Amino acid sequence: MLIETKNLSHVYMPGTPFQVKALHEVNFVVEKGAFVGIIGETGSGKSTLVQHLNGLLKPTSGEVLVDRQNIWQEGMDLRRLRSRIALLFQYPEHQLFEETVYKDVAFGPRNLGLEGTALEERVRYGMELMGLDFETCKDRSPFNLSGGEKRRAALAGILAMQPETIVLDEPTAGMDPSGRKQLLKQIRKLHREEGMTVILVTHDMEEIVRSAEKLYVFSGGRIVLQGLPSEVFSSSRYLRELGLDVPPLADLLQSLREFGLELRTDIFDEQDAAQEIIKTCKKRGR
Amino acid sequence: MRSITLGHYLPGNSLLHRLDPRMKLIILMLLIAALFMVKTFLGFFLFGLFVLTVFIFSGLPWRYFLRGLRPILFIVVLTLSLHFLFTKGGEVYWRWGFITIEEAGVYLGAFMSLRLVLLVITTLLITLTTSPIAFADGIEYLLHPFRRVGVPGHEIAMMMTIALRFIPTLMEESDKIRKAQMARGADFETGNIFRRARNMVPLLVPLFVSAFRRADELAVAMEARCYRGGENRTKMKELQARSLDYYSLATASGLVAAIVMSGV
Repeated sequence: MLIETKNLSHVYMPGTPFQVKALHEVNFVVEKGAFVGIIGETGSGKSTLVQHLNGLLKPTSGEVLVDRQNIWQEGMDLRRLRSRIALLFQYPEHQLFEETVYKDVAFGPRNLGLEGTALEERVRYGMELMGLDFETCKDRSPFNLSGGEKRRAALAGILAMQPETIVLDEPTAGMDPSGRKQLLKQIRKLHREEGMTVILVTHDMEEIVRSAEKLYVFSGGRIVLQGLPSEVFSSSRYLRELGLDVPPLADLLQSLREFGLELRTDIFDEQDAAQEIIKTCKKRGR
Repeated sequence: MRSITLGHYLPGNSLLHRLDPRMKLIILMLLIAALFMVKTFLGFFLFGLFVLTVFIFSGLPWRYFLRGLRPILFIVVLTLSLHFLFTKGGEVYWRWGFITIEEAGVYLGAFMSLRLVLLVITTLLITLTTSPIAFADGIEYLLHPFRRVGVPGHEIAMMMTIALRFIPTLMEESDKIRKAQMARGADFETGNIFRRARNMVPLLVPLFVSAFRRADELAVAMEARCYRGGENRTKMKELQARSLDYYSLATASGLVAAIVMSGV
């Protein structure tokens, strides 16, 4: 599915002294099967944007198009849309509410009208994609899981709806490095093996740079930069002005280049970068 | 859910904003007492003029102010219709079958509604211009004399502050959980009342869990700072009544006295 926004603007609490304009004329495109990253500091409008994509927020002006259909036109089934574009909020473990993990993961697919073995299959599918063992976890209380497991259970609840697109709002916030790595690996797997379109919102550059094919940078409710990760990170000074970090590796390569080393800067893997540096140094030495 | 503006503090720097919260509370009590002593429409008119003057001094945006009044519209309509229908006496204005609207009903209905509206306006004027913290401080101070009979003034004020502090947080939280469950296909809008109540479970359970978690975290944070309420506690901002406060108190007392003596 193709998701687009056209001149999308959103104002919170219009007409009161607390009015805030969160999005200004945002034009945003996600093609089928893409892995798109959205970065920006807190309050830059990225969470507001993703809540428009599945109709949780209504645009103040502008349009949200899914497969070229305006999602706010008459006769559009928003609940159906939400099962196709699944959104995982920040700290998703806060949405767990059922007595068992099974029931909680089943909440989404059950709302789609599934029952019996079809439902169980979906639950199993979701849990296994997230690396939760179905037999040992299904009867446990979601409140007794570890932090990382809770988050994966919440994500499993989304995946059990078998969405075409998943939108993840800072999925690794507050996790330890190994949990982070594991979760990101699983998300990449969803993209690669299940063919899901992934929209990842974050302010951690490290985690996005290895996965995303296209990046959007938000600041003050506008898209200020967009393009391939290598293109975006080549304007490291500008990113820093926006209060964003540049991945250390990109930063290092950039600095080396500024010192006069003729090397590629669009490398995001430590090993490749090491090889590139050695290669360039050898060339220079000759 | 975001439209709840009743009593939502609006920061500012007007005369009313700078008034000592203790004085504001006393004045509010005086004004409410005065409102209940008014016996005639003339009295309401004069009281209304006074409130209007205060409103102009408060610098509050009137549109926002009127929105704060909206929630009482229902109560006003209810008061009016109950009196119209059930209070009998005097001339009969209108008759339809056994339903009559009579003079006493119209009179009392209008009288009570006016009192109600003025009551809310007066209270709003105070709550919209007083920060919750200042309010709690004022209450703590005013409860101080009752300490001897076992009223824990400081604790009450602290509880109020915390409760007020968490209203926006919990509202934000419930909004977020509601959306998160809607993203999982939850339906909060359709169905009859029982169905809707049951559909609230996915919203209420996480909300309670998070409220308890927050309470727990707050308690730990307070204990880590060696919090101990009540006795010997000093304040960063001591309340100090200035001449402005005494003038205001005098004005309000004057108003009450005038109402009582003139019998309007």
